[in-house]
Amino acid sequence: MSFLLSCPNCGVREVTDFGYGGEINPRPKADPSFRELNNYNYFRANVAGVQREWWFHRSGCRAWFVAERDTTTNDVIKTELP
Amino acid sequence: MSTLEFLAPVAAGEDVVARSPMEALARDAGARFEVRDGFNVAISYPAASYGETVSWCDTSHLPKLQLQGSSKAIDGAAGIKLQAGTALRRDGAWWCRLTNERALVIGARPSELPDDVDVIDVTSVFASLTVSGPLARECFARFCALDLRPAVTPVQALRPGSIGRQPGTLIREADERYLILFGWAVAEYMWSVVADAAGHLGGGPIGVDQLSERNMSHQSTPNTDA
Amino acid sequence: MSRLEPQPGERIDRSKRISFTFDGKRVEAFEGDTIGSALYAAGRRTFGRSFKYHRRRGLMCVAGQCPNCICSVDGAPGARACIEPARDGIVVQHVNAEPSLEHDVMEVTDRVGTKFTPPGFYYKTFIRPRRLWPLYEKVLRNAAGLGKLRHEQPEREWRTEYRRRHADVLVVGGGTAGLHAATAAAKAGADVVLADEGLAAKLADLGELATAARDAGVEIIEGGSALGNFDGLVPVWQGDTMHQVRAARHVFATGTIEQPLVFAGNDLPGVMLTGGALRLAQTYAVAPGKRAVVATTSDRGLEAARALRELGVQIVAVADLRPEISELGRALRQDGIAVFPNYTVVEARGRKIVERAVIGAMNPTFAGTEHTFGVDLVLMSGGAMPATSLLLQAGARTEYDERHGHFALAQLPDGVFAAGEVAGAVGEEAAARSGELAGLRAALELGYGDADSRGRVQVLETAPTEDGDQVAVAPAVAGAGRGKCFACFCEDVTSKDIGLSIDEGYDSIELSKRYTTVTMGPCQGRMCQLPSVRLMAQHNGSSLGDVGVTTARPPWVSVPMGILGGRPVEPAKRSSIHPRHRALGASVKWAGDWRRAYDYGDPAAEALAVNKAAGLIDVSTLGKLLVRGSEAGAFLDRLYPNRFSNLNPGRTRYGVISSDAGRIVDDGTICRLDDDTYYVTTTSSGAGAVEEWFSWWLADWQMDVRLTDLTQGMSAVNLAGPNARQIMSAVSDLDCSAEAFKYMDGKLGTVAGVNALVLRIGFVGEIGYEIHFPAAFGEHVWDALMAAGAEHGIKPFGLEPQRILRLQKMHILVGQDTDSESTPFAAAMPWIVKLDKEQDFIGKWALAHYAELPPSTALVGFTLPNGDVPTEGAVVLGDDGSAAGQVTSSRHSPVLDRTIGMAWVPAALAHDGAKITISDEGRRLAAEIQTRPFYDPDGEVLRS
Repeated sequence: MSFLLSCPNCGVREVTDFGYGGEINPRPKADPSFRELNNYNYFRANVAGVQREWWFHRSGCRAWFVAERDTTTNDVIKTELP
Repeated sequence: MSTLEFLAPVAAGEDVVARSPMEALARDAGARFEVRDGFNVAISYPAASYGETVSWCDTSHLPKLQLQGSSKAIDGAAGIKLQAGTALRRDGAWWCRLTNERALVIGARPSELPDDVDVIDVTSVFASLTVSGPLARECFARFCALDLRPAVTPVQALRPGSIGRQPGTLIREADERYLILFGWAVAEYMWSVVADAAGHLGGGPIGVDQLSERNMSHQSTPNTDA
Repeated sequence: MSRLEPQPGERIDRSKRISFTFDGKRVEAFEGDTIGSALYAAGRRTFGRSFKYHRRRGLMCVAGQCPNCICSVDGAPGARACIEPARDGIVVQHVNAEPSLEHDVMEVTDRVGTKFTPPGFYYKTFIRPRRLWPLYEKVLRNAAGLGKLRHEQPEREWRTEYRRRHADVLVVGGGTAGLHAATAAAKAGADVVLADEGLAAKLADLGELATAARDAGVEIIEGGSALGNFDGLVPVWQGDTMHQVRAARHVFATGTIEQPLVFAGNDLPGVMLTGGALRLAQTYAVAPGKRAVVATTSDRGLEAARALRELGVQIVAVADLRPEISELGRALRQDGIAVFPNYTVVEARGRKIVERAVIGAMNPTFAGTEHTFGVDLVLMSGGAMPATSLLLQAGARTEYDERHGHFALAQLPDGVFAAGEVAGAVGEEAAARSGELAGLRAALELGYGDADSRGRVQVLETAPTEDGDQVAVAPAVAGAGRGKCFACFCEDVTSKDIGLSIDEGYDSIELSKRYTTVTMGPCQGRMCQLPSVRLMAQHNGSSLGDVGVTTARPPWVSVPMGILGGRPVEPAKRSSIHPRHRALGASVKWAGDWRRAYDYGDPAAEALAVNKAAGLIDVSTLGKLLVRGSEAGAFLDRLYPNRFSNLNPGRTRYGVISSDAGRIVDDGTICRLDDDTYYVTTTSSGAGAVEEWFSWWLADWQMDVRLTDLTQGMSAVNLAGPNARQIMSAVSDLDCSAEAFKYMDGKLGTVAGVNALVLRIGFVGEIGYEIHFPAAFGEHVWDALMAAGAEHGIKPFGLEPQRILRLQKMHILVGQDTDSESTPFAAAMPWIVKLDKEQDFIGKWALAHYAELPPSTALVGFTLPNGDVPTEGAVVLGDDGSAAGQVTSSRHSPVLDRTIGMAWVPAALAHDGAKITISDEGRRLAAEIQTRPFYDPDGEVLRS
């Protein structure tokens, strides 16, 4: 795996510049049920296709951003600040 | 003292000297030192002449300030619109926007900064090397994946990114001159990385007095109200 | 040395003689020779023994494609003699034959036949008794393989250069098409790199084209092998340099690979690809043999026959698989060469090298049509398979091409172009056109070029394409039943083995590949992919298109591990005080990504000094985060289970970070500097992760908070011990009296003339001052404290004594005493969780749940009556003797003079005085639980 990602602040870099934060998994709003809590903590959609996910420019500006990536091809459709 | 004064490597006492994390390496390589503004600086190496290849110079003594605030407040402090990806030279310092809310000033401590930016002295958070010479780009190619081709990285380009597998920031100061910032604690490692690559290309270390000023042909930046 | 007359394209310099040794014998060579050409010129035909059957193998492809001439050079295995340059003085050795290449005892595996050694025979034969497997394995490992690592070999400096090269266009392949592509793209304005394995450009006499490419600004990496395509990043290996080429567009002009034919004895030395024989003769002026039979599926074999005849090789027969005799065939006949249409080679026979060749007409039995010739050379040309591996890795698709009997490109991904023979453009002119077209298209896509280039593209696109040569499709196998017919030379897989694997149920190419290991050897499928697909299709009765091909994985070329290793520089963090630790002779070890002083020679004495007098430890590795802003307190309240918004400026509080699953993630102390500013410390190993964690939640919550990571910018030392106060008073302008500077105070002042933040905290259990100051003053502050402490018995102490000291206080180490399952409740820190906090915080919901649920295990202390120190990780036994917990920390405490430790035990045993049994590497140790700190349990010393 060595695709390119475009950091919204710094521009295009090798993927090794970044830390992967996983698919966007919103935190429940208030007092979730036990099931909701476990879903949030332990389950992911793991889609084969386009997914919104967190990335951290660990070697650069050290900012988090959101990417839309096709998990089957590693094509990055877009990146944006949260 | 004010709350954040203790973060700046500015000595309170007279006999206290600030030191670069690469001082021991510079000494082993034959550097001559001089204390300047409280910092022990490697000013020259007797054997240095790497004009045809590549040289590196420990510039960790350069003052570095981090500005935090709204995008507008940061532009206000700079007196000019700061764009990510481009470093602007003003008052003896590089002004570098890293994110909408964060910028670095490298090379000088501006005397007056507005209250709406939060200023933190990060001089000893980042060590730095200035790599220069005709083979500087070849040297970086040995340990850095940044695209430094002139068309992609023109003079004054600002490139935060991995350098020697460590978080870093690169500024192309002039045609053949690059300033790189990296963590203070990885400085010894970074010196060994640069020395390995540059040494193999026939280069060596130089002192700050040997850093050719003619290389530093940065464009003056117009003071606009942008 | 027997050589031909000087050849027009020869690469040897006859004026420069060199020599090397092969298996100890001196071999003469010319500069420009390869090891293979020199050995062949010296009369050697057997170069090595095969992987499994120890059959003799010799030169076949003379292009580094097949595995048959693998040898070791100067102790490094894996070199291909046919392309490895001969250098003066090198030591070359054969592979896989004992005691010698000519007399190999393991040859017997070939004689007993495949009945006893089918695919998977190791696992079928050597399964019982199970305990003997290690012995079998040892024997088998010695019996098979293509080379040995010489462990006794002296270490040598092998400098590997990594070189990143960004480019607009990368062209792989420096033949006619590749050079035209590169030149066209460069002339249009693109920044172009061309990588070429080296042979093509030299053989095809492309000097002028190469010069034109260089003149246009193309960087040519000569002798550079593209190893793979990793999402557009192409590593190109050239000698001791690994170029990592990142280009925006790729042109692959990788050509074709001449295919062998599958027939009985097709691996005998003397059986060669036509291209291999030509290279030997034309490039190295070495006669490949005296009498040859040629078997071919196209004019390629006929051309080789004609060329070799002119060089003095007697061509006794040409078996041309095509039913119609071609124009060239007729010309050869007129010259007196026997050309047999519809014929192929059935068998090669001979003891050490080919002595006889049998050809036959293409029908199932060949009966009655056979001719046998006495020869020393069998030349085969089984078709030209497009070298699509790198293209497939880039995402291209191939389809079966019935006319040519191979898999041809069917679809290319965006930004990837193919040119020349790999794309079906056969012949110089077609190759040149397809190259120029690919190069121009690549450049135009990137915005280079002009109206002329676009016009030229139109012209090239509409140019008529030639139909190319007539070809016949090679049979899956000819002469089966007459002896071993090899589909795969690397792993010694025969046509029979493929059939057997299908019969045993491995009936898809992917399964058969894994079972027989066909295509998994060093040739990466170059020689065996098409033959194995043909055999499978034949055996299954399916079409080749249905069988399909496997993707050859990188590296496309065998590459020494050392080349992939990079430069021997390892990232390490070091404190600015590190030079002092070195000078003191500290034992320096890795602690996360830091190099740290573990001890200065006597950890027990260092720990004792802290308890009895004073000690100084460098804790610069601690994570340090500045959290600023009007919502800084509220932000921390949401990140920690306890409260920080109510912490008074100038005070410090311990905090544990929990995940939303309620598990302990990290810990540290937080000092409030002023209303809007907190100085947060984290564990050394957690610094980076905590910064990311904080900024991640900040990105989500968008609060008025600003984070600054000061970890590397601030040095920190901990001065601790009964005498710490006096030492501190001597170097600081702070009032260090017990009343003015209380436990858990955080004060700003000067230390040794340096502005500093001083936290009175007690990780090691004594009066302690953790001093934070700019890293540029590291050595200065250290020296000043050591000097001031000299009269108070100060000693530097390292990480190991600190671990003893903190264990005396039962202060946990996150990651040592806790793991990813530990909750603050189970870790005996229920007081850290403030479930009554009005606002939400990370972990709140899960922790509320765990607060109701009594933990099944608990983290407690234990002591041992005698001097035994259990191993960390030793098992705590339950009542029934089963594993019920484990020891997480254990040390001998010098100040208490007994063994202390911490362990996870069943909750029922988590009370003072409970007895537990620890099972430790065969020992049973009786220990007693203690829940309160071993040293100063009430914290009187700490607070004094």
